[in-house]
Amino acid sequence: MIELRDLGLRVGERRLLDGVRAFVTAGEFLAVVGPNGAGKTTLLRAIAGLHPPAAGTVTVDGAALAALSPVQRALRVGFVTSDDVLPDALRVRDVVAIGRYPHHRWWEWQPRPHDEEVVEGALAAVAMGEFSQRLFSTLSSGERQRVWIALGLAQETPVLLLDEPTSHLDVRVAHEILALLRRLADAGKTIVCVLHDLNDAAAYADRLALLGRGALLALDRADDVLAGEAIETAYGLPLERVRSADGRLRVFARAVRLPSITP
Amino acid sequence: MASSFARVSAFVALAATVLAAAAASLLVGGTDVTPHDLLRALARPEATGALQTIVWQLRFPRVCIAAVVGGSLALAGALLQGMLRNPLVDPYLTGVSAGAAAAIAIAILAGVAAPLTPAIGFVAGLAAATIVAALARRGAGIDSNRLILAGVSLSTLFAAIVTLAIVRAQSSDYATAIVAWLAGSMAGRGWHELAVTAPYVGAGALLALYAVRPLNALRVGDVRARTVGVDVARAQWVILAASSLLAAASVVLAGMVGFVGLIVPHIARRIVGSDARALLPASVAIGAALCMLADAVCRWIVAPAELPIGVLLAFIGVPSFLYLYFHGGEASR
Repeated sequence: MIELRDLGLRVGERRLLDGVRAFVTAGEFLAVVGPNGAGKTTLLRAIAGLHPPAAGTVTVDGAALAALSPVQRALRVGFVTSDDVLPDALRVRDVVAIGRYPHHRWWEWQPRPHDEEVVEGALAAVAMGEFSQRLFSTLSSGERQRVWIALGLAQETPVLLLDEPTSHLDVRVAHEILALLRRLADAGKTIVCVLHDLNDAAAYADRLALLGRGALLALDRADDVLAGEAIETAYGLPLERVRSADGRLRVFARAVRLPSITP
Repeated sequence: MASSFARVSAFVALAATVLAAAAASLLVGGTDVTPHDLLRALARPEATGALQTIVWQLRFPRVCIAAVVGGSLALAGALLQGMLRNPLVDPYLTGVSAGAAAAIAIAILAGVAAPLTPAIGFVAGLAAATIVAALARRGAGIDSNRLILAGVSLSTLFAAIVTLAIVRAQSSDYATAIVAWLAGSMAGRGWHELAVTAPYVGAGALLALYAVRPLNALRVGDVRARTVGVDVARAQWVILAASSLLAAASVVLAGMVGFVGLIVPHIARRIVGSDARALLPASVAIGAALCMLADAVCRWIVAPAELPIGVLLAFIGVPSFLYLYFHGGEASR
């Protein structure tokens, strides 16, 4: 479904990632983890076609992303970014309807009945159906995140990328969103999601992709990635591992002691 | 605006306002024309006589020019404000008017024949917009901050050139001619000017049609617009080209008419919301009606002299806008 071949990414002169090789199958939930600055968001932007690779290729469904037009890309890949934009005076339904953009030509201004159904379905999927007429600006952070996900769902793409969809959310809302992503993957949608919480990532994703030190350090089942040494290498931090009652491996960082400061 | 019924009602009201403004503007002037006279003259365009001349050669083209100028400036303002997601942007940001003003001031000072000055202004206006766009370019697209900075900086430079021209021409009629042009007026314009600018207005309007869907997607930001398939760079160039053509055409027709391009999109947004499918036509209708009415008042209030339309629009429009802005709902902002 998604294939990364020897992918290299740069931001300006800075080398972020080199030699990334990965294959994500249809219906898989892949969590991308790693320390700040490892290139997680840039990797997602590259898969979405928003960041041109310095080397290698990204293919989605066998088509090289670079050869596709913006609309063709948007029909294959949806991307829920972490950009904090507050649309002026837009209702929730209008925000989600923007996801239908790639399904229309430039002169087709009016939504079709199918568009209405898709928008309603997307809102229902994120449990925001009753908020459809609310002004977006009146929503809480968690509700806004759900609406952005609904916009991505309204695109009806086989692949959905999400950049830190649970940041700034309380633990319940964060788990509801992760459960929603799990359900979408079980229904056949390919999910690639940047997450910071390693245990959440392990609890919901099929595999973890660990980025660090300018490379893809590990791409494996969650337990195997958490048990390996690469994760401590990536974060530069010793981790404690605990097997919980449900049999899952969980990791915890040991408390960091800073050198004492003399006044 | 929630329901389609409310939107249809708003457009019916706007259409009625445009027609009423056109009728009022046709009736007002140095010579009294009754509604009956007006209908008689409009029904028989081929007839000859003073009434036909007044209606068909003086007032009707002027009303059309006012409508085109108002509609063009409002449309250009709505396009740019939507593209930059900045409500403080007006069509003159692109440097069109300042470039045109500087070129026309120099032309007047150099003694260029009056009929040539609008053409000079048009070319210089588009040239200034091209320079601003080139300075604002970043990668394949346009950087919003660079566009605003380049537009404001170059406009300031061009304004200084105009000031210098006025100072240099202090003891002659040239200064008066430059100031009159800067104040904006539709006096002395006719079918010829309208025909010359029509292709540019038409091209700007067609480009605006293409921009409708990208503008709607841009309401959630450039990045999200790109994720749903908007070619943001292309949309930016199209919008910049459209707004420059529309603003340059209006400069040729009426000189500098401020306020309309900045304020009318706010009023339209308050009435029909921010959906470009409704916002753009509503802006055109309100801009056209406003300019037709303002031009009529300018001709009537100090008759037989005329008030510059830019002055009138500022005196009446700005307080009205401030009231709407600060007492309106979120939709107005």
